[in-house]
Amino acid sequence: MTIISTSIAERLVSEDAEVRRLAVIDLPYSDEDDIVPLVLPRLADSDANVRTEAVRALEGFEEPQVVAALAPMLLDTDPGVREAAGLVLAEMKLSESAGPLLALLTEAEAEVRMLAFRALRALRVAEVFAPAMAALSDPDPGVRREAVGVLGYLRRSEAIGHLAEVAAHDPDPDVRRIAVGALGYTTEISVLPALTRALGDSAWMVRDEAAQTIGKLRMGPAIPDLVRAMQDEYWQVRVKAARSLGLLKAAAGLPALVEALAHPIGNLRKEAAIALGEVADPRAIPALEKALDDADPDVRKLSRLALTAIGLAQK
Amino acid sequence: MKRIDLEFDLVVIGGGTGGPMAAVKAKEQNPQLKVLLIDKAHVKRSGAISMGMDGLNNAVIPGHATPEQYVKEITIANDGIVDQEAVMAYAANSFDMIQELDRWGVKFEKDETGDYAVRKVHHLGSYVLPMPEGHHMKKILYRQLKRARVEITNRVVVTRLLTGASGEVVGVMGFDCRTADFYVIRCKAAVICTGAAGRIGLPASGYLMGTYENPTNCGDGHAMAFHAGADLANLECFQINPLIKDYNGPACAYVTGPFGGFTANSKGERFIECDYWSGQMMMEFYNELEGGNGPVFLKLDHLAEETIGEIEHILHTNERPSRGRFHEKRGNDYRKQMIEMHISEIGFCSGHSASGIWTNARGETSVPGLYAAGDCASVPHNYMLGAFVYGRLCGQSAAAYCADTAKGRVDDGAIAAEQARIRAPLERSDGLTPFQIEYKTRRLVNDYLQPPKITRKYEIGLRRFDEVREDAEAMVATNPHELMRAMEAHSILDCAEMAARASLFRTESRWGLYHYNVDHPDRDDANWFCHTLLSKDAEGRMQMRKKDVEPYLVAIDEEERNAYQRLRVARSAEAA
Amino acid sequence: MSIATTLTQVPVVVDEGKCIAEKGCTVCVDVCPLDVLAIDMLTKKAFMKFDECWYCLPCETDCPTGAVHVSIPYLLR
Repeated sequence: MTIISTSIAERLVSEDAEVRRLAVIDLPYSDEDDIVPLVLPRLADSDANVRTEAVRALEGFEEPQVVAALAPMLLDTDPGVREAAGLVLAEMKLSESAGPLLALLTEAEAEVRMLAFRALRALRVAEVFAPAMAALSDPDPGVRREAVGVLGYLRRSEAIGHLAEVAAHDPDPDVRRIAVGALGYTTEISVLPALTRALGDSAWMVRDEAAQTIGKLRMGPAIPDLVRAMQDEYWQVRVKAARSLGLLKAAAGLPALVEALAHPIGNLRKEAAIALGEVADPRAIPALEKALDDADPDVRKLSRLALTAIGLAQK
Repeated sequence: MKRIDLEFDLVVIGGGTGGPMAAVKAKEQNPQLKVLLIDKAHVKRSGAISMGMDGLNNAVIPGHATPEQYVKEITIANDGIVDQEAVMAYAANSFDMIQELDRWGVKFEKDETGDYAVRKVHHLGSYVLPMPEGHHMKKILYRQLKRARVEITNRVVVTRLLTGASGEVVGVMGFDCRTADFYVIRCKAAVICTGAAGRIGLPASGYLMGTYENPTNCGDGHAMAFHAGADLANLECFQINPLIKDYNGPACAYVTGPFGGFTANSKGERFIECDYWSGQMMMEFYNELEGGNGPVFLKLDHLAEETIGEIEHILHTNERPSRGRFHEKRGNDYRKQMIEMHISEIGFCSGHSASGIWTNARGETSVPGLYAAGDCASVPHNYMLGAFVYGRLCGQSAAAYCADTAKGRVDDGAIAAEQARIRAPLERSDGLTPFQIEYKTRRLVNDYLQPPKITRKYEIGLRRFDEVREDAEAMVATNPHELMRAMEAHSILDCAEMAARASLFRTESRWGLYHYNVDHPDRDDANWFCHTLLSKDAEGRMQMRKKDVEPYLVAIDEEERNAYQRLRVARSAEAA
Repeated sequence: MSIATTLTQVPVVVDEGKCIAEKGCTVCVDVCPLDVLAIDMLTKKAFMKFDECWYCLPCETDCPTGAVHVSIPYLLR
């Protein structure tokens, strides 16, 4: 149902900013096959709402001219335009799109640097490595967070020591947590101190991430630390530690896992039962048999599976 | 009521999830093909995922699960009644589809190193991949449609398929729900992607559109497939889902499970024994709900503040964003109390269950030139990703079929009859409203068809449906919108009757609550280890027949097959 | 004629001060899967014409001026 019958091309240059904005909104759903040339001029519109919609309309058009036109929108005077540009640029998939984004990494505004790093993460281009390393000491936590993310995706061994440093000492707990997760690309023994130290971090989310990452990397030497993490005041951390002890088939985890079978939170009892099956040590049999009468059906079921696994391992 | 005639090679009916994928893939295979995507809503926001999706429930990603393991789990969850080749066609293409969607801009959860963050919900494989920003899904699909130059027609309700001399598809017919213009579209092939039949039963709130499924998905596709002569499979295997009481949105065990949330009874204890999302799980849910431990709740209040914050972010921005608004009005807070749950009205939906228009591993139905994908087709437990995978298979199969097929002759008599059928309610100035016909049909479905199934009640239900069918001939529509509701009411009646006839045919119980028959309470593998097919007989009535289960590709050993039985025994021993 | 009009409080409310339908905006009408919104030809503003709402929210989230508010239908609340 159209009340105004003028063409979309005319509406795009209407005197009325709201009409221009509506035209931009309609454009991706119109009959126009190539909307890019029609939208690009609207990035320079005098009205911020029109610019915001123009940015959104270009989402997914990953052509060099579009990326080159969108990147400077992160410097727009209007926060809504900047936010939209950040979201759209974060959708970029092709490494060829990196150029205009790299140019923004030295901008004065922290928000711009943060959004540029975020957009560059999935592109995994070599040129972002040095700026990301430098940004690990950026005064802005948002920038540091995105820089850590970039390094996690790049998976380069030169970054390990620096990420470990961030994981241990960054003042922002969220940055520390992401740094711990970002270390999950290397099994080099040099990450061990960073991960074990993170198990004693003051923020539980960091400890949680560390317990999980140790399991993902199958870091055997961290088993004693995981056993200690089984006493963490947060049961969530204990769940992750139990999971990792299971993945590591850590016999040393046996007493702590057996103890966890009696914890009031069912989620933890369940994880302990799974882990005991993976450890497959017959000494767990009495505790697991007792857990066959647990009030929680998931714990009962998993204890049954664990007992079967232990039986198979004995054969 | 103008008549509009169009010609295409391929018409895809339904622009929600599988439909756009089918259209794009057909065009990619043959850019010369004339492809039309037609939707009764607007493709921009149509279908089950109009507001996006919060995650993949059945991602088969190397390192986390294998196609063989997945096929095995789906076979067990469906009590053995599956075409494993069709399930395998999904599983083998699952990861490739995830990667393609990723390239298109769909955001899946990844860890800090860029690996997919797959979560475990079931006990064997890990299949859950969250999509914290899944609300962009439709925008991404639309962009691909434009890129592939697929033609799109919105607000046209397809009502019937036209078939040729050998029963093959030669066209589709429908009408514009704003102008009532009558559409005749000649084509060589059609793909039905009309979603679930989610408006058969009445939600507990009594609000007609307060359904679990998007109410546009009312079984139009099931009905048009039946009238075109297609087979429909296992319709007695209903969809019944656990959901938030009254709100009728999913309770999202798949989202909250990996975070530690679970379904609890009134004592706050977990009670579900079953490992799989299945009728058996729903049976346990139903028993707890109706027994002394009810009602049933979603329990999150034991989780940490940060975890609940993350769950809220996912649940309140994707798929059903009005959930937060509902909870607010009720004073519900995940941190402070458990949230009351209930079970949904019945429906047909292969996304979560196993019934629909019969298709094979290539997406072909039993009608030449007709394909079906997504919730309306028979491949079990397909969820969103299965709709995409089968959308692709259907698009490719249909494009290949079109290359070898000439346009068939259309039957002018059939066109005139359909035009008269559609026009009739508009030409009446008095009669019953579509609302009345629909409400009564759905109320009867709740009264007589909601499991547990009782033969005598089903027989009464069928008689009452016949009466409503006669009444429906007096339906009046005062505008094209009401005409849409009137035509939908016919589809709903067809689906209600199909649900009843299929259920009466299978004289055993299977699939837990989905087909729990009080008069035949036991599973009877000797007589009923088979699919059932419903189709149209020579007089246009519904007929039923059995179909053998296809040979398995992945063997299920005795131990695994009996896993359920053991759990049931354990439970009844406890009760005793 | 034996047909009555039964009144009902609809869940979708449009703030006419913010609605810019008169400038050609049909966003909420376009995105509604159930096609229950329309533009009033006299006021040139959007309104809910049929009480058949799935409370799915595209009308509210896609509205460029924040003029649309969806409540949960009363029968569900």
